[in-house]
Amino acid sequence: MTPPATHRGHPRAHSPPPIGPDNMPLSMPQIAVNQLSKSFKVAEREGGFMPAVRSVFRRKYKQVQAVDAVSFTVEPAEIVGFLGPNGAGKTTTLKMLSGLLHPTGGTATVLGHTPWRREAAYLQRISMLMGQRSQLAWDLPAMDSFMVHAAVYRIPAAQYKSTLDELVALLELEPVLKKQVRTLSLGERMKCEICVSLLHRPSVLFLDEPTIGVDITMQARIREFIRAYNREHGATIILTSHYMADVTALCKRIIVIDHGRILFDGELERLSDRLAPFKVIKIDLSADVTNYDFAARGEVLSSTGRKVELRVPKGSAAAVTTRLLSDLPVLDLTIEDPPIEDVIGRAFLDKSAAGSAPAASPSNSDTVAAGAGGRT
Amino acid sequence: MTHVLRAFGAFLRVGIGTMIQYRGEILLWAIWGLVNPAVLYALWSAAAQTHENGEVAGYGRGEFAAYFFMMMIVGHMTTAWDTYEMGYLIRSGTMSPKLLRPVLPIWEALASNLAYKLVTLVFVVPMWILFALIVRPAFHGAPWQVALGVVSVLLAGAMNFVIGYCVALIAFWSPKLDATGEVFFGVGMFFGGRFSPLAALPPLLGSIASLLPFRWMFAFPADLTIGRINHPYEAFAGLAMQTAWLVIGIVAFRLIWRSAVKRYTAVSG
Repeated sequence: MTPPATHRGHPRAHSPPPIGPDNMPLSMPQIAVNQLSKSFKVAEREGGFMPAVRSVFRRKYKQVQAVDAVSFTVEPAEIVGFLGPNGAGKTTTLKMLSGLLHPTGGTATVLGHTPWRREAAYLQRISMLMGQRSQLAWDLPAMDSFMVHAAVYRIPAAQYKSTLDELVALLELEPVLKKQVRTLSLGERMKCEICVSLLHRPSVLFLDEPTIGVDITMQARIREFIRAYNREHGATIILTSHYMADVTALCKRIIVIDHGRILFDGELERLSDRLAPFKVIKIDLSADVTNYDFAARGEVLSSTGRKVELRVPKGSAAAVTTRLLSDLPVLDLTIEDPPIEDVIGRAFLDKSAAGSAPAASPSNSDTVAAGAGGRT
Repeated sequence: MTHVLRAFGAFLRVGIGTMIQYRGEILLWAIWGLVNPAVLYALWSAAAQTHENGEVAGYGRGEFAAYFFMMMIVGHMTTAWDTYEMGYLIRSGTMSPKLLRPVLPIWEALASNLAYKLVTLVFVVPMWILFALIVRPAFHGAPWQVALGVVSVLLAGAMNFVIGYCVALIAFWSPKLDATGEVFFGVGMFFGGRFSPLAALPPLLGSIASLLPFRWMFAFPADLTIGRINHPYEAFAGLAMQTAWLVIGIVAFRLIWRSAVKRYTAVSG
C-alpha cells in the first residue's frame, strides 16, 4: 500500500504542511476511516403458516453486522480496490463513505467532511457510481440528465461544455447522446452513467461495480478511462468489483473484506505472498509417464494426459522444478503465481480468519488479518 | 437558494419532457381525475331533485354542479403521488442516487409534480369547459371571492404536496407500506369534502374535518370560489389556516427529513 505521506521521509515538523489541490494539507489522508461499523436489525422467521402467524405476535429480530470496526486511510490520488464476496460489507462501507448510510459506530472523514452529515459542500465534491443503479432519466436522452446534473452541481457553463466535450470524446458518446436512455445497451448506458458521475469533476470517486454486466472490450475501455481520470485529475478512487481484472488493472492497493472485517490491506502483488505463498508449476510432458509420484513433489491441482499442474510452497519451487526436470521428459514447464481469484477465494474460505482477526489498521506496511495467511 | 432555483428549473424542464413522453398515460390519469367529481355531481344532483326545495344542505343542482366543477380543478391542482411512490423508490434503490445529490430530492418531486399539472392542462382545460357547458354550474362568487379562490387553490396545491410528502416519508421507516397513499387519499376524500360538501356531513364529522388539513385542501377553495363563503373575514381566516398548515408541513418536513435520512437503509442497492 502507499504509505501515508508523513512516513515518506518528508520532514514537515517545523513548517506548515503544504496545501493540496483540495485545500487540504498534503499530509492528511483524503479518506480516514476509524473503527467504522454498521449493523442492521433484520426480522426473521421460519417458513410456513404457523411461524407466519406467530410472527404477528412475537417478531424475532436478528442483528446483522454488515461492517465491523473497519479502519483504513486512503491518500490523495490513490486507487484502492475493495474485494470481497457478496454481502462482505464492501458496498455498505462505500455507502457510509458517500453519506448515504449512517454508521452505527466509528468515525470517518472524507475530504475533511463527515460524510453522513451530507453537507452540500461535501456531496458537491464526490461521486458514487452504482453499477446497478441508474442516475439517468430513463425516458429521456442522456443529454437531459447531463443538463440537470450541471444545474444541480452548479457547474459553470464554460466548464460544463469543456468537460462534457472531453468526456463525450473520450467515452465516444456522440452517437448515443440523443437516444432515450431506456433504448441504450448496457455498455452505452454505463458510459453515460460514468459521464454524468464525472461532469462535476469530483475529487473522490466511489465506484461500486462500475463494469457490471458489460462485455470484456467495454470493461477494458472503462478501466482505461478510470485510470486516465485518476491520472489527469488526481482523483482518489475506491472501487469495488467482482471482476478481478478491474482490480488488477487499476489498483496497486487492495483491501480484502469479508464478514464486515478487513482480511488484508496492502499492495496487490503482496497479497499472494501473504495469503497464499505458493507457486503453480505447469508441466507439459513429451511422453506418457506412469508410476511417478507427483504428490510427493507438491499438491496436484490437475493431471490430464501429459499435462500436470502442481502447487508448491514458494521457497521450494526452484528445488522441485530441478527435480521434475531431471526425473521427467519435460517438453515445457512454467512457474506461475496462483491466480488472484484463487488466492482471494482461499482467504474467504478461511472462516477462522474472518472470525478471529482484529480489524486491520492503517499502516505503512501491508496488513493482514491473523489466520488468513496460514492456510495451505 | 439561487442554485436550488437553477436545479429546480432543470428538474422542471426534464419533468415536462418526461410528461410529454408519457402523454398517453397522463391523459388517462387526467381523465380519471375528472370522472370522480363528475359521478359525484350526478349522484348529489339526483339527490337534490328528490328534496322538495331541490336542495341538500343548501346546495341545489346548480350549486352542486359548481362545487364539483371546482373539485375537478382543486383535485387537479392537488394531485400528488409521493405517498404512493416513496416506498417503491426506497425498495428499488432508486432513491439512493437522489440522496447523493447536493439538492434535496423534494425539489425534484415538486418539479415533477408541477410538470404534470402544467402539461395536463392541455387536456383538462377543454374537459372542464365541456363539463361546465353540459352541467351549467351556478356560480355566485363575487370577483373578490374568485380572486381569493384562485390564491386558495394554489395554496391548497402547495399544502397538499408538502403534507403528502411528509406522509410519504413514513416509507423510510416502513418501505412496504404501499397503502399509505390510499389511506391519505381516502381520508382526504372524506374529510376534505370531495365525496360531499362538508355542510352535508353530520355535525360530529364536520367538527373532525375542521381539525384536519383536508378541508383546507379541498372544500375551502371550492366553497370560496363558488361564493359560499361570504364574509371577507371568513375567507381570510381560511387562507390563514391554509398558510398555517403549509408552514406546519414545511417545518414537519425539515424535522422528519433529518430523521428519515438517518433511517435510510438503502435497501437493495
